[in-house]
Amino acid sequence: MVNSYFTTSLDEALEIRNTKPVIPYAGGTDLMIKADDQASYLFLNKIPELKQIREDEEYIRIGACATYSEVLHHRLTPQILKDAIIELAAPAIRNLGTVGGNVCNGSPKGDSALIFFVTDALLRLGSSRGEHTLPIKEFYLGRKKLALQNDELLLEILIPKKGLEHYYYKKIGARNALAISRVSFAGILNVEEGRIKNCATAFGAVSDVVVRRPDIDQMMIGKTIDEAKDTKKEYLAAYDETIVPIRGRVSAEYRKSVCMNLLQDFLETNGI
Amino acid sequence: MIKFILNGEEVNSKANPNERLLDVLRNEFCLTGAKCGCKEGECGACSVILDNRLVNSCMVAMGSIEGSTVMTIEGYSKTDRFQVLSKAYADVSAVQCGFCIPGMLLASECLLSENPHPDEEEIRRGISGNLCRCTGYNAIVKAIKNAAKEGKGLW
Repeated sequence: MVNSYFTTSLDEALEIRNTKPVIPYAGGTDLMIKADDQASYLFLNKIPELKQIREDEEYIRIGACATYSEVLHHRLTPQILKDAIIELAAPAIRNLGTVGGNVCNGSPKGDSALIFFVTDALLRLGSSRGEHTLPIKEFYLGRKKLALQNDELLLEILIPKKGLEHYYYKKIGARNALAISRVSFAGILNVEEGRIKNCATAFGAVSDVVVRRPDIDQMMIGKTIDEAKDTKKEYLAAYDETIVPIRGRVSAEYRKSVCMNLLQDFLETNGI
Repeated sequence: MIKFILNGEEVNSKANPNERLLDVLRNEFCLTGAKCGCKEGECGACSVILDNRLVNSCMVAMGSIEGSTVMTIEGYSKTDRFQVLSKAYADVSAVQCGFCIPGMLLASECLLSENPHPDEEEIRRGISGNLCRCTGYNAIVKAIKNAAKEGKGLW
């Protein structure tokens, strides 16, 4: 007997999530690959609160069930996220797939998740007990392991509004459309009054979780471009040690050299 | 029962909510225009228009479409826009085996309704989720370009 649930009310969805062993269904583009007749899905795709895209003073707030197309065409969406979505799958998938689904799929290859990592986005989780917000880095505990309780749903993704202008994004796939990332990289570097104000990098599809190491990027912060050039060798060496790719459809060696090439290109683009 | 609008008519499906829209269209409603190519959203042969947007019907669970509007190639074939596209495809021999064509036409429709005068790059992006193993795409791109001209004012 199949027990799947459809609702347009968030309260009801949280209640069902709390009382039944359901699998949250957002856009379905990952779940339906292994469609399970016996699964108990909770369909979230028509809950208005989960589809809103809005802003407050500090953040752009994207509802977990906003589709890629809705995010792509929204005036509040930062360009770095738009760039990633344009290269994601193809129009028909972008019309179904959601940013929340991409995050909760837990894959290190998620193209929008990479952008949420590099921007240090926050996730707002809710349950019938209440809600809380945590940094995306703390949400990913390991391969497909998430800090999401059985009664919780991802409600919103909060992207900081400031400091996203000078970004670098590249996705390496086997072809242009419908390609799963073999390596993806995003970097943000802002210089203010001659000094690097923030430097953030994220590597997707290389290990169990997106690689985001603010402690290494810290080496660049506060430096002038000339000082950053002197630090470059040490900075690259730190990432060289950190990035230990998994072997997938392509070899670990290939992934590693692409990562390092992209990181170098990111620095060179910024004159470092 | 799952209630939705199919090609302009309100219908009720007895399907299991976890079933793929593609299978229900073909098996319950005997609409076989949407083809099953891959069942993983990679080929576009099962494309339909769901709430005015192109989707892969193999990626849609029935339980998610309560109250939605679905148009398949069978419904679309009754429109003037279809006539223009169909002629444009035929004129440049953009159809060979035909398996991808129902999806390809619906992708063309969604592209033109969003952007009535697409350039070549935009056309290729618009149909990037629809694989065709016969034509090499050039004739299809040309057909869409011609349809945009011939069907001026329709989109």
